[in-house]
Amino acid sequence: MSGALPPLTPPERAPSAAAASPVAASHALPSSEPAERVLRPPLRWPGYVAALLLIALLPFALKGAYWQGILVVCAMNVLLAMSLNLVIGDCGQLNLGQSAFFAIGAYVSTVLLKSHGWPFWWAVPAAILAAGALGLLLAAFAARLRGHYLGIASLGFAVIVYQVLVNWESVTQGVRGIYGIRPPPPMTLGPLGVIEFSNPAHLFYLVALIALLVYGVLDNLMRSPVGETLRSIREDEISAASLGVNPARWKAFSVGLGAAIAGLAGCFYPGFVGTLVPDAFSIVESFTMLAMVIVGGLGTRVGPVIGAVVLTFLPELLRDFGDWRLMVYGIALTLCVLFMPGGMVQAWQLVRARWARQGVH
Amino acid sequence: MPDILALVLQQTLNGVYLGCLYVLVALGLTLIYGVMNQINFAHADFVTIGAFTAFFSASRLATHVLGLPDATAYLLSIFFAMGAGALLGYLINAAVFAPLRDRGDELRPLIATIGVSVLLENGQLALFGPIPYSFDSPFTQHTLRLGKIFFSAQSLLVVVVAALAIGGLHAFMRHTYLGKALRAVSQDRETAGLMGINERYLIGLTIVIASALAGLAGALLGPVIVLTPFAGSSVIVKAFAIVIIGGFGNMEGTIIAGILVGIIEAFTVQYLGSGLIDLVVFVLLLAMLAVRPTGLIAERREENV
Amino acid sequence: MISRRLVEGIALFAAIGCALASAPALAQKTIKIGVLIPVSGPASYFGVQGKEGMDLALDQINRGSGVNGNHFEVKIEDSACSPLQATNTAKRMLEQFKPDVVIGEECSDASLAIAPIFEQAHVPMLNAGSATNQLTESGYKYVFRIFPNAKQQGIPLGRNAYTKLGARTAVLLYEKTNAGVDNADGFAKEFEAAGGKILARIDFGRDVNDFTPIATRIAALGKVDVLPTFGLEGQQVRLSQALAQAQVVKGGGGSGIQMGSIWLPWGYDAKAGQASVGYVRIVQFDPTEKRKVVTDFIAAFRARYGADKTPTHINAHAYDTIQLVAEAVRQGATDAESIRDRFSRIKDLELTTGKITFDASGQTVDPSVIHFVETQPDLSWKSLPW
Repeated sequence: MSGALPPLTPPERAPSAAAASPVAASHALPSSEPAERVLRPPLRWPGYVAALLLIALLPFALKGAYWQGILVVCAMNVLLAMSLNLVIGDCGQLNLGQSAFFAIGAYVSTVLLKSHGWPFWWAVPAAILAAGALGLLLAAFAARLRGHYLGIASLGFAVIVYQVLVNWESVTQGVRGIYGIRPPPPMTLGPLGVIEFSNPAHLFYLVALIALLVYGVLDNLMRSPVGETLRSIREDEISAASLGVNPARWKAFSVGLGAAIAGLAGCFYPGFVGTLVPDAFSIVESFTMLAMVIVGGLGTRVGPVIGAVVLTFLPELLRDFGDWRLMVYGIALTLCVLFMPGGMVQAWQLVRARWARQGVH
Repeated sequence: MPDILALVLQQTLNGVYLGCLYVLVALGLTLIYGVMNQINFAHADFVTIGAFTAFFSASRLATHVLGLPDATAYLLSIFFAMGAGALLGYLINAAVFAPLRDRGDELRPLIATIGVSVLLENGQLALFGPIPYSFDSPFTQHTLRLGKIFFSAQSLLVVVVAALAIGGLHAFMRHTYLGKALRAVSQDRETAGLMGINERYLIGLTIVIASALAGLAGALLGPVIVLTPFAGSSVIVKAFAIVIIGGFGNMEGTIIAGILVGIIEAFTVQYLGSGLIDLVVFVLLLAMLAVRPTGLIAERREENV
Repeated sequence: MISRRLVEGIALFAAIGCALASAPALAQKTIKIGVLIPVSGPASYFGVQGKEGMDLALDQINRGSGVNGNHFEVKIEDSACSPLQATNTAKRMLEQFKPDVVIGEECSDASLAIAPIFEQAHVPMLNAGSATNQLTESGYKYVFRIFPNAKQQGIPLGRNAYTKLGARTAVLLYEKTNAGVDNADGFAKEFEAAGGKILARIDFGRDVNDFTPIATRIAALGKVDVLPTFGLEGQQVRLSQALAQAQVVKGGGGSGIQMGSIWLPWGYDAKAGQASVGYVRIVQFDPTEKRKVVTDFIAAFRARYGADKTPTHINAHAYDTIQLVAEAVRQGATDAESIRDRFSRIKDLELTTGKITFDASGQTVDPSVIHFVETQPDLSWKSLPW
């Protein structure tokens, strides 16, 4: 199986690859081929230890409720970007409506919590299940769709979910919104004492650890035959079917799992902001998630994580540009796609490869 | 005429007019998709820029510089708007679509155009500000009445220009060498290339034409919508739905779907409530896709196996 | 391997973040006013006009010796009319700028989201643009509002429609937002209590552009006496024009009267043209008023922004918020706690939008901030003595 490096297609090879495989050119979304696999022993635990250390230290580096709040948002975005990458990057299914599942997670958990008095930690699995079930529904519905039809259908699905949130006032309060939502209840963790999730640093630990856990599960899943199957559907659905894979079932699996992860991320949003309104889940949010995946590196494991971190912090760091902020953001996004078509992960690999060559000479 | 009949007729007319507005926006999208399988998300902003171009050229240039009457100035401004659209089309092709074209990838140009859209929207915000402009063409205030039925001269103009644009585009595609070459490219890029058709040039030309159509749509929409830098984005999602319902890249399908969506919208307002428009339109979109996964009129593209 | 790259990436951002977080300006003897308004997206409609009004007031205050020797420093952050962005920028404001008083937000959703943050931080928050009742009915001690809430607008609107205009039937038209729903409910409650009948409630999203189908529907309802309308300027221009075209309202030769609250700025009538004739609405800022504070404000506004410009109620509200802070400082306030204290004791303070008196909940209660005008055939306003 592939080592730590994700499959890589250097840009200069891409045209010939596209020309040689017209199917991939017209239908498959990502064009990365597992061409150059670096053989490396699967020594992954140092990475996880480093990530754990980093998570532990970040709130000490970024002090104050504002930056720690951005960390929480960042951890949620990492979950969302990973969930979307599973659908688009690994399985090749264009999904422009991921915000719908984020919304379902947020609303189901909050309504159960506020209107039905459920404890937070019971509401979370219910919200995950609800989002996952809705994902399966979309997948069942979209089984025959592909490419941009699937993209716009999922966009339409997100519009419908948004409209239901707006119009189903007896449950969601509609545009009036739900206010005064409390963070997850405090937890007592033996020697660590009481963890108060009203403290953004603690909430960050919670969401980031969950994100790391999800990362680990996805990482292992994608190295297993399941990952191989999903990628075979991405590369060529018809060939995959001829090899005995049931594409509809596996597409449903990836869309459903992706939806469940987005729903999980949604559980932490209301308690963090304290307020829940349908406008928080407009279709623009879906595009932001997509941009995170693309900017980081589509179909790679760590790419969406980096994309989410960059695109969460970039608008905040650009605040000092004032009115120019969003223009700079738009330019950065466009240039990023134009000059790093493989995302930041691939760009970094190319730079390293060049350094390595220069080192030899 | 019985009241209910007059009401149904009036709402149908309202819907056809609204549909023509949508068709004008959607045509450019479908044209680009037909030739190169790309979605231009910045199309909405081209429409807005077309509207602003028409507004400024009609109200400043024509009236003050040439001293033309309002109606002539407005009609003339439509060409300015088309020019602005064409220019934007040329630029986005040179900057985004052409460099990314050979990668055989549908997703990155999409994201790149989202970036362009953010840039254009906020650039316009910096230039024009967020306060709605009062862009009234001399035709908006003129209401025509036939018994109980009413419509503004502007809506008549929209329908006529939409018909002219569709007719012109159709004639261009069917009867000119360039049009035939374009269709050849949209059916099979590689073979068309082998037959000596300059594919690069043709795709560029398509994007320019499609963007000029966006400018045209903007000039016609300007006097009837709320003209702010965000004007185009309020219609673009529905335009996508229309392009899909019609079958991506299929012009006839787009026209039928656009007018259908307009009529559905008018009757949703009449019988269900205007807050439910998007819900109804997109439920119909999904229902239609469930029955016909490639749109109202099936895509003629063949599957490469 | 993977994580090392992750570490490097994040460490870079962490470093930049720290650098930014630890560089607040050190200022002394200044009153720091934090402003949270939307300056991006469609809601920047409010933010841009708000900034104009505040800049003018600040110029006037800082040009001289300030207020009691205190100069004002303002920091504007883009809260984008969104609860998430607003809460993030509220925290950023508290940590980096450390304001003595905060002005904002415009949108009800965002205002409701940030109110508990400033309440907890004990920093007074002055609101001049959100109509939702909930803002001052949640028991906050640090929240003040010089904008009439939905009730204060809806009740006189509903009552006067019934008694003064003799209306018995109404069709409610409102945008589907927190403020739109609150305003419509406020009208309906009062109007129905008086004995009127609501024939239809028509809501619309902010992306609706063509109102002809809505106008057609209303025309088919038969005789409608009043049409209370709650929406933003851009959409309302098109809505009024469509209603006139369908001959529903007086401006189009019909018999219905459009009514509205303070959503519409001065200049609306000129934009909508003849369609707005007969429109009866509440205004809070009337540029034709002859009070000195109003004429002075208009003169200063024109001197700064151009002789052909007339300030809107959004300009005026923003200007008033700074004047209100100035008044608190004039009465000896120097920090957040004392500003809150002076605010709570403000009584009959004359500002461009009327007289301000806060009740215990922080809501201004003086009815002078509400008066009715009717659009005349020459598109000017006639004050109605209601």
